[in-house]
Amino acid sequence: MIKDIICSLDYSFFAEAALALFVGTFFIIFYGTARLSREAADRFASIPLRDSIEDPRHE
Amino acid sequence: MSSVTATDMDAPGMDPNDMDAKSKAQVEIESFSYDDDIVRKFVTATIVWGLVATLVGLIVAILLVVPTITGGLPWFSFGRLRPLHTNAAIFAFAGNGIFAAIYYSTQRLCKARMWSDSLSRLHFWGWQLIIVAAAITLPLGITQSREYAELEWPIDIAIAIVWLVIFGGNFLMTLIHRRERHMYVALWFYIATIVTVALLHVFNNLVVPAGWFKGYSVYAGVQDAFMQWWYGHNAVAFFLTTPFLGLMYYFLPKAAERPVFSYKLSIIHFWSLVFIYIWAGPHHLHYTALPEWACTLGMLFSLMLWMPSWGGMINGLLTLRGAWHKVAADPVLKFYVVGVTFYGMSTFEGPMLSIKSINALTHYTDWTIAHVHSGALGWNGFMVFGMLYWLLPRLFQTKIWSPKMVSLHFWTGTIGILLYIIPIYAAGLMQGLMWRSIDETGHLAYPEFIETIQQVRPLWALRVVGGLLYVGGVVMLAINAVMTWMARPSTYDVPVHTAARLSRHDDTIAEAPLTSDYDKDVPMLDFGRKLDIFAKMGWHRRWERLPVKFTILTTAAVVIATLFEVIPTFLIRTNVPTIATVQPYTPLELAGRHIYVSEGCYNCHSQMIRPMVAETKRYGEYSKPGEFIYDRPFQWGSRRIGPDLAREGGRQSSKWHWDHFANPSFISEGSVMPSYEHLLENDLKFDAIQPHVQAAAYLGAPYTEDEIANCEAIARRQAEVIAAEIVAQGGPAAMHEKQAMALIAYLQRMGTDIFKTPAPKGGDVPAEAVPAEGATPEEATTEENPVDDVAVEGEISPAQSVQAVIALDRTGASS
Repeated sequence: MIKDIICSLDYSFFAEAALALFVGTFFIIFYGTARLSREAADRFASIPLRDSIEDPRHE
Repeated sequence: MSSVTATDMDAPGMDPNDMDAKSKAQVEIESFSYDDDIVRKFVTATIVWGLVATLVGLIVAILLVVPTITGGLPWFSFGRLRPLHTNAAIFAFAGNGIFAAIYYSTQRLCKARMWSDSLSRLHFWGWQLIIVAAAITLPLGITQSREYAELEWPIDIAIAIVWLVIFGGNFLMTLIHRRERHMYVALWFYIATIVTVALLHVFNNLVVPAGWFKGYSVYAGVQDAFMQWWYGHNAVAFFLTTPFLGLMYYFLPKAAERPVFSYKLSIIHFWSLVFIYIWAGPHHLHYTALPEWACTLGMLFSLMLWMPSWGGMINGLLTLRGAWHKVAADPVLKFYVVGVTFYGMSTFEGPMLSIKSINALTHYTDWTIAHVHSGALGWNGFMVFGMLYWLLPRLFQTKIWSPKMVSLHFWTGTIGILLYIIPIYAAGLMQGLMWRSIDETGHLAYPEFIETIQQVRPLWALRVVGGLLYVGGVVMLAINAVMTWMARPSTYDVPVHTAARLSRHDDTIAEAPLTSDYDKDVPMLDFGRKLDIFAKMGWHRRWERLPVKFTILTTAAVVIATLFEVIPTFLIRTNVPTIATVQPYTPLELAGRHIYVSEGCYNCHSQMIRPMVAETKRYGEYSKPGEFIYDRPFQWGSRRIGPDLAREGGRQSSKWHWDHFANPSFISEGSVMPSYEHLLENDLKFDAIQPHVQAAAYLGAPYTEDEIANCEAIARRQAEVIAAEIVAQGGPAAMHEKQAMALIAYLQRMGTDIFKTPAPKGGDVPAEAVPAEGATPEEATTEENPVDDVAVEGEISPAQSVQAVIALDRTGASS
């Protein structure tokens, strides 16, 4: 069965599919990052600079 | 680690509203300390191996200028030492450097000690043992000949265990037991490093063992090349880039005492690199026998790498906004600024070199070497040095011994890099232009390859000066580190921290049930509400803090991208059209190929003629994918210090090769090839050939049972034929037992199969065609005269005639 599936695949579209996959994922990540609040981003960015844990530990 | 019980009411800064929900909950307050002893160990190893790696690099640079300096000692030839240099630089120096960075920063970013001190130490000592094993085996010629993956299978298994199980396991468990809710972006880069390097390492090193010190790749030819450069490029990406970016995102803000310029940019930087890098490997194989679609895809994704890479560089440099006055005074920041700048330069140049038309000029030339060193010396080296100088006073709890020497190291190193890369860029450009130069009559302007080498040798000499300065800087670092260590306190102060363990469920906004902003009363489709919830991206915030899920997703991103390239490469048959006349190597040729690999000939000679006029004029018919189906591993190479050897078979007499091994510069004046006198003196172990043939047969090479059983006798007969030929050409007598016979057999076979005419179909070849055991080669080729029945274009050498006998036998057997 696996052999049949593999044989029936048309590999020629893989390159285009790869590009589409990347572009789609990239835009989701980009959008998600854009939605991150400034407060949360500043808080995350300062993690290396503080030696103690700040509570509450949320965004 | 100890713990006490307290209520959340004790926690400072807690929001009263939140506390209502948890007021009755008991929260465990734990006390813990960081394991800095393991960081000290890795820092020490980084400095020691940094010295070794750069010193060996200096030696190999000198060997190209004065090839006779080692007196022909086989263990110290360029071909054997260059892999030692690259492995020491990547896995010993940079490797220990990133481990020091990861162990130091991970504990502080997670506010947790490493999960297991025992695993940390097992990791340290296991890794050092692997490095020592590499330092012993590579000069002995025990190598796979796959660039940056030269180590043989027993060491590869040790690497997989130490890297993935011990280091990866310890790291992941530390993440799981962390006390900081958010996983800082540096940790993301570390996760990507661990999972991707493990994947690359395991799948690139799948071999069938042919003894304790030899394994044959399960991939052959084109597919092997694809896998190797999928690994090779991503070794640069995920061993020399992502962990260093993690290092940058932690240590640069620490040194500058400012948060990273844009956290959002760092997130985009991370995901873009993870998604894009993995596709780019085929750009190392432009114009080779790799299918063009794969190369184009590799080029396209390489160009896309420009943006995230420069985003990262800009993010690093802008972290210093408002703090540039510190850079003038702080040598640590100077190292970082130059390091990040070299990252920008290298990541601009890399995509540029992946453009096919540029690659056609630069590939196989020293340009690639300059590019690699601007990244390795500038980016990796300087980031590690900056980190070490920042860490030394903190780890040894005293002031740095000599701040002036740190500054001197910075300037010496910077000038050293420039003195290294500028001449080598010039050398690469000269080589590329001279190799392709055609005169007005349509012939090669520089038909003798040696001319191009002579032109660049002064530039190689200048590189030695640059290398010397760089090594001098590392020596200063070592002295400074030792003197700082000597001023350490009698016992180190170990600060104890206290913090509550992370609650399993976060009651904060992102963990709360995801709801839409639109009230239920608003008339809209349920799908619209779901889309609104999705668009809030709270799900992504959750993923970012779940280490196991995050690791799985990163792995999935890398695996999916890989499969999109691997599946078509392996499954489309037209990618590698078979050639009827291409036959497996004879046992002696296989032994010769093993010597070729062991001596590291691929470090200077390619076996890939690109379809370009200048190349076909110089070397002959361009290489076809089907020619390499029995090449395990492939030997296409990545650099031409010597000429391409893809069509070497039959170009020179066997006596010429014999003399050339003895004294290359005597045969080819000005050659930088060292003497391989030991091949003329040492006997070949004919009885050790069989495992090689068995492994090749197991992997699909159509050897008959007779050939496998009698491979020693077959090899001896072919060696006698070559020895006789050398005698006939005026060479020494009775040399048929020598190792050189095998290598000459292999060289004389290279690239010749394609010119043979297929044996007629259906012709049963009598069993007598196989020379009887004990018969002389002359008897084998004249009495039964099978060679006369094989139509071969051009003359064939006696060495080839034995191969032809075997090939004919195979044809008969298969038909």
